[in-house]
Amino acid sequence: MDLFLQQLVSGISIGAIYALLAVGYALVYSIYNFTNWAFDAFMAFGAIMAFIAIASLAMPFWAAALLAIVLTIILAVGTERLAYRPLRIRQAPRLFMMISAMGVNLTIVQLMNKFFGGTFRKFPVESVQPIFIGNVSIGRMDLLAGAISFAVLSLLWLFLYRTKWGLAIRASSIDVQTASLMGINNDAVAVAIFGLTGILSTVAGVFYGIKYAVFPMMGTITIKAMIASIIGGLGNLPAAILGSLLLGVLETLVSGYISSTYRDLFSFIFLIVILLFFPNGLMGKSGEEKL
Amino acid sequence: MGYINTILILGGINVIAALGVSILTGYTGLFTIGHAGFMALGGYVSAILIKEYNVHFVLALIVGGAFAGVASLIIGYPSFRSRLRGDYFAIATLGFSEAIRLILNNAKQIGNLNIGGSFGYSIPSGLINVPVILIAVLVAAYFAHMFVTSQHGKNCIAIAQDEVAAEMMGVNLLRTKLTALFISAFYAGVAGGLMGLFFAYQSPSFYSITQSSNLLAAVVFGGIQSLIGPIITAFILIAAPQVLLVFESWRLIAYGFLFVLVMVFRPQGLLGYVEMNLNFIKVGWKKMTATKAPHGKAVH
Repeated sequence: MDLFLQQLVSGISIGAIYALLAVGYALVYSIYNFTNWAFDAFMAFGAIMAFIAIASLAMPFWAAALLAIVLTIILAVGTERLAYRPLRIRQAPRLFMMISAMGVNLTIVQLMNKFFGGTFRKFPVESVQPIFIGNVSIGRMDLLAGAISFAVLSLLWLFLYRTKWGLAIRASSIDVQTASLMGINNDAVAVAIFGLTGILSTVAGVFYGIKYAVFPMMGTITIKAMIASIIGGLGNLPAAILGSLLLGVLETLVSGYISSTYRDLFSFIFLIVILLFFPNGLMGKSGEEKL
Repeated sequence: MGYINTILILGGINVIAALGVSILTGYTGLFTIGHAGFMALGGYVSAILIKEYNVHFVLALIVGGAFAGVASLIIGYPSFRSRLRGDYFAIATLGFSEAIRLILNNAKQIGNLNIGGSFGYSIPSGLINVPVILIAVLVAAYFAHMFVTSQHGKNCIAIAQDEVAAEMMGVNLLRTKLTALFISAFYAGVAGGLMGLFFAYQSPSFYSITQSSNLLAAVVFGGIQSLIGPIITAFILIAAPQVLLVFESWRLIAYGFLFVLVMVFRPQGLLGYVEMNLNFIKVGWKKMTATKAPHGKAVH
């Protein structure tokens, strides 16, 4: 029972990281209708920038995280500007957007591979004694990751539903063209969206780096976030969060009780099963393509 | 001579796999970043047939390809079935290829058959050479050409252009997409089998995401809705890095950068929408001379 509880806590904390990533995908997807493949590169970039700031510049953790967030926002907005906006203006097919995003991903990840090195590195934070509740030990970083992730998600919700900017973003997600006719500045919305993805990816990247390791290919776990958002229902923020938590917990249970080698295999089979029996995800409304 | 042979054989193998991706991504408009998974499946199945059951290698390659094709339907059917967004499929291909690589890396045995896990699986060498590859490439290109110019191929192009309009015109979306996927995975499977025969062993490390990016790069640079374009670029992408080995570590960086540049400035690729036939040379020549002629006149 103790083991089970421990797995549960660990699963929720990794699920919270997936949730940040899944929401980042869903934000871009809901407005621009393409999967932002560059997102995992942003995540690794954020984590590596924080790593360098702490390890080489001897900055305190919070300052380093803040610096990494700012740099990743610049990267994300710059990517939108150079790689997506020209295509968006031309109203290029989604296939082209995805290829362009894939190109950004390859470039950034491989550049980091070249200059940072492809090895796994431990994130430079001192390890702290876990908290014991009965026989259950809970890592403080797990708690912090969970708490901060939910704080970020709540702030995002407030931003989207309680501010004028959020209203503009939500209007654009319904129809970009009409929203711009109503006086919403499309380019400003794009900057806001990609700025938000920069924040989300860095927070997720830093906590994932603390939990496991920092390396340029660490972004490959964002495929879990995509799987989670499909399980929940694509393009629906609360569903993405629920799907992420579910996947995080199930995955941790599988690696705890069966085998950690086949954890990723399990996630994938789970995706296929969900697609077969719940094609719209567990909570999604209709996932069919719009006309 | 051995060096040139290597380039010709590896280039030919890459061309066959890229033809498959061209049918799926170029003609049907379905984005794939996991074709290395199908290559691995076909490669291992044909390798096992050749080594353990002494099957003739041509038959083994075809069976391996067919196996990859059938396996592709496992992800194709759920993601195409209910007209879900194409992104589901792209994510599924990525997950599928990672899952295959994970299994091959960790499974030392299937039943009582030792496949070696991450050490790889050795098979008899010397079965293929340049003429065999050349014939394979020609046959593959011929059938790909026949497919894309057939009614099925036209259905694929219609889906790539506008799915809803295609369905209204009576195109069966599910069946057409699954056909394209099957053929595409078949090509990848055969290419994987040839790869194993050339290296005389199969290893999960051949089939990483780099291989998938390589194939996608060939199609993106070569051109959407073209066979001759990806054939040329698939060969160049293999031959050029072998010649310019110094740039090895910059290769993927350059690919990524070029993806973006091509999409922003020339989304149709090198030879997008150019059909593969002899006319294309004539038309190309005419275009070249036609653009030069007025210029020449203006000078005089």
